[in-house]
Amino acid sequence: MKTETGATKTGGKLTIIVIAVLVILFLVYYSVMAMLAPLKKLNELKEKYTPEYEEAASGSRILTDSTYLSLIKEKAFLQSKINMAETDSIYLVLNLADSIASLEISGVEVHSARISFFRMSSILGKGNEYLMYSLLSGPLNIVGDYSTIRKEPLMIKMAPRDTSEYKPDIIPDTTYHEPVNYILETDIGIRIFIYQSEKILPSDRKHQYFFDLNDRLRNTWNSLKRVAILEVPEYHPFIKLVLPGADARIIYRAIPRKGQIAVYL
Amino acid sequence: MEEDRVQKEGNESGFPPGNKMTLHEISKRVSAHISRFYAGVHENKKLLGVIRTTLISVVTLLSVVFLVFYILFAVPQFQELPYGKGSGPANLKELKEDKNYRKITGTLSKDVQRLLRKYNSYTSGQSYIVINTTYNKFHLFRNKKLVREGRCSTGSYIMLKTHGEKKWIFKTPKGKYWIQGKIASPVWRKPDWAFVEEGLPIPPPNHPSRWEPGVLGDYALSIGDGYLIHGTIYKRFLGMPVTHGCVRLNDEDLEVIYKTLNIGSKVYIF
Repeated sequence: MKTETGATKTGGKLTIIVIAVLVILFLVYYSVMAMLAPLKKLNELKEKYTPEYEEAASGSRILTDSTYLSLIKEKAFLQSKINMAETDSIYLVLNLADSIASLEISGVEVHSARISFFRMSSILGKGNEYLMYSLLSGPLNIVGDYSTIRKEPLMIKMAPRDTSEYKPDIIPDTTYHEPVNYILETDIGIRIFIYQSEKILPSDRKHQYFFDLNDRLRNTWNSLKRVAILEVPEYHPFIKLVLPGADARIIYRAIPRKGQIAVYL
Repeated sequence: MEEDRVQKEGNESGFPPGNKMTLHEISKRVSAHISRFYAGVHENKKLLGVIRTTLISVVTLLSVVFLVFYILFAVPQFQELPYGKGSGPANLKELKEDKNYRKITGTLSKDVQRLLRKYNSYTSGQSYIVINTTYNKFHLFRNKKLVREGRCSTGSYIMLKTHGEKKWIFKTPKGKYWIQGKIASPVWRKPDWAFVEEGLPIPPPNHPSRWEPGVLGDYALSIGDGYLIHGTIYKRFLGMPVTHGCVRLNDEDLEVIYKTLNIGSKVYIF
């Protein structure tokens, strides 16, 4: 009996050790794959913008020169805005250098908001300036979004059958508060997060946390699926902005579902 | 003698007599208690099992929490470790003396100026109005300067459905429009939904019951597709989304806008 119990105990310990080792190995594997993802994305972007990038990069120190880069940046931003201004649609302009987010229609600024805080992926930052300006010389096209508010707050009303059923419309409740947080996904994989700056109700912080957590879960699930088939997961560079709630709502409701964005880094 | 007795009594009762117990004695007592507790636990196999199960559960739970936290929060942080080749732009003095460099930057400078001129030409010097449908406000511009702002009412986002197949969505269209017509003392020609909404039968297209004077204010400006900028008798609703798609204004604002905007003036709705 004693030998059997001892064997069971040793077996149990061994199982625990094996599980722990497997979990640690998986964590290491997942971490390595996840850390390779931004590099893979960077290479993909370089490949996509190869002609311009390679041509300019061919043996020239000019690509790190501040004057040259600032001119390239200005040109890219203007090109992007002019592209969008040629349409009659509403578009978003993110001037991160001046911390301004504005809505424009055909080159006319119709609304402007102060960005109180922003943060972006490291691959959009230092060291990759030339690539980023080449990439941003055209507008980013929105391909999808996740939001805590509805794009169009439609209310369904059934028509009365006759005058006896008629009831006048209810006056809308303009004091109703809902936190505004959303993510705009673009065609080249850059994701733009917009969060409301004010935390009016205690639950606003909680809403933002769960909105963020939901996105992390979604991304992690997708990454795990990729890693499970021995593929490097998708990496989405991000730009996270904090705006006043009213402005964040205006921007989300104004830009079309397949709208466009110009970014000035 | 009396003091010795108190000391002895104190020690026997297990409580320190005053402050005379040393730290060493306290630690000795505590370790004795702990040893007794462990001995008790070891003897009580049921309790030992419960403690062991609890410990394993807590360790497992903490490991799972760590695992989730690591994957959800730590790994994305690792992904943001600095990438890229260099340390950012530099001011290269010797490069600036290079002929080719000056040629490239000169061309770029010209391109930027050309694009800037083109971009600035989009903002018209003529009068235009900007309407914010989310917060029901308008801004009137003349010569690129704001000349008037105020409240308005725009589409309610109500979808009116009949018991049959018909439906209407009362929203103000967004984008760039222009003034296509200006009407003084407008008379409202009630569309089908105005009857459906009140539970009335829909009259023929030119039936007299369709014409209703006085409800659109003194002026109306058409922006196409039947959408108007007009006055209202429901002034208390200004600043709220209550209309069927048109833009309602108060009498004073409407008059200024009517006099400022011409046929062809731009209307930007967002």
